[in-house]
Amino acid sequence: MLSKKIAVVGYGQTPFSRANETRGEQKLNTSQYMAWAAELALENASLTKKDLDDQGLATVRTMQSPAFWGCEVAENLGITPKMTITTDHGGASPITMLVQSAYALNAGDVDYVLCLAADAPQTVGLVHAPLEGYRRDFMSPFGVMSPNSTFAMAFRRHVLQYGTKPEHTGKIAVTQRKHANLNPGAYFYKQPLSMEDYFRARGIAEPFRILDCVMPVNGGAAFVVTTEEKAKKITDKPVYVSGFGACDNYYHGSRLTPDITYMGMHLASRRAFEMANLKINDLDFFQPYDDYTIAVLMQLEEVGFCEKGKSGDFVEKTDLSYTGTLPLNTGGGQLSCGQPGLAGGMVNLLEGIRQLRGEGGERQVKNCRIGMVTGLGSIQYARHIGHYASLILSSGA
Amino acid sequence: MISRADSAPKEYKKSLPGITPLSKPFWQASTQHRFLLQKCGRCSTFQWYPKAWCVECGSRDLKWTEASGLGQLYSFTVIREVVQNSPAFEEDIPYVLAEIDLDEGPRFVAQLKDVKPEEARIGMRVKVAFVDATPEISIPKFERENL
Repeated sequence: MLSKKIAVVGYGQTPFSRANETRGEQKLNTSQYMAWAAELALENASLTKKDLDDQGLATVRTMQSPAFWGCEVAENLGITPKMTITTDHGGASPITMLVQSAYALNAGDVDYVLCLAADAPQTVGLVHAPLEGYRRDFMSPFGVMSPNSTFAMAFRRHVLQYGTKPEHTGKIAVTQRKHANLNPGAYFYKQPLSMEDYFRARGIAEPFRILDCVMPVNGGAAFVVTTEEKAKKITDKPVYVSGFGACDNYYHGSRLTPDITYMGMHLASRRAFEMANLKINDLDFFQPYDDYTIAVLMQLEEVGFCEKGKSGDFVEKTDLSYTGTLPLNTGGGQLSCGQPGLAGGMVNLLEGIRQLRGEGGERQVKNCRIGMVTGLGSIQYARHIGHYASLILSSGA
Repeated sequence: MISRADSAPKEYKKSLPGITPLSKPFWQASTQHRFLLQKCGRCSTFQWYPKAWCVECGSRDLKWTEASGLGQLYSFTVIREVVQNSPAFEEDIPYVLAEIDLDEGPRFVAQLKDVKPEEARIGMRVKVAFVDATPEISIPKFERENL
């Protein structure tokens, strides 16, 4: 628990890129995206590089990050922090980075933390297996094709157990694309997507179509966190941390043969609601981590918008658009913005921050005050997600 | 030993596991097409993939034990594209990748052998079928139990 109020006071996100030179896109590496994102966030928070000495620096570990990553980032930025945090929770890292920063700020160790995430899979290539461990030894040689395979098998179980249909996953892809078409920062900005397009998309790891899966992009994003007292001096639009919760290495049922239609998000989000002393009806939007369409459906169940197994019916009957009853991934999510590697969770988190600051542009959710963002990270053997994080943000202290 | 160049297995180009002190007995047995799992000496749980203690009871008394190699499909996916893996898998595409609940208990991820995408069914009975990769490694795939 936190005794002080902790707030995000500035943020920035670089354009996302496929490093496609025929589209005139630059080919940059991770450290270039980090510097670019840091510049944008500091400007937004009216801070300078000098303000970061003797403060906190938080970074997200990517697939390419060597050991001692935090100090390498500090060296590349030319700063001397009092404390570095490196989160290693994959897509949940942006949230855990914010949470760990909040604890350090709450304890009074530092006054500011710059939270920074970037990745450039289109430049360095997607790493298909780490140097050791279960993925190298017991997944890649056995024909596993990225997290696509793993989530595809969870999707098939969801279809079998609950009757979920491609129309349901398709609605997630199509709704989020509508939002992306109102978001100039989305890679698929001004590229409409219909349900017919979704059904025509090629199979990649069936039952997944290509449009059920995120597309990797290069990019970076950053935000600055501080205490309420300092926040009010920096901005008139601080975004407060109301509650958070996490759960790692969850099994549903037996440890050997778990039911993979479940996630640990029901525990993570319950913990977040309890800490915030809020209920699901208090949420004005939901920005769930969306590496796959089915992951969004499963989280609707886990967080409690509907019963287990009923997410198909729920999305069929619910207006998920930014003007609807449950505004969902209002910037297009990663499915339509692109996934900047292991910085992917920043897409959902920064959209939550934007909305609460009233900076959602054409896709602004009216009168929104409270919203939830989630993060998912790591792929466990024969299951799916390893790290679950849930965060409730609010525009009021 | 008779060796004929034209019958030598072609070079294996797909991803290979590293052999670690923990996994060595499994791979040694694989070359003889014997399928081993770790069995806990205290609570008798079988587990996969190889770990340093029993995930149920925490005992480090684990014994590599010959298993039936039988199981049934818990779920599966039809792979149509190589993603973050060796391009050499192209030759198998499309193929069925499955999560198999082994009769001894643990769940195992493997490719199916001689099962077309439209033939795969959840609940389908399968048995292990090793594919020789290198002199040190044979990769377990699974085929129909009753061929």
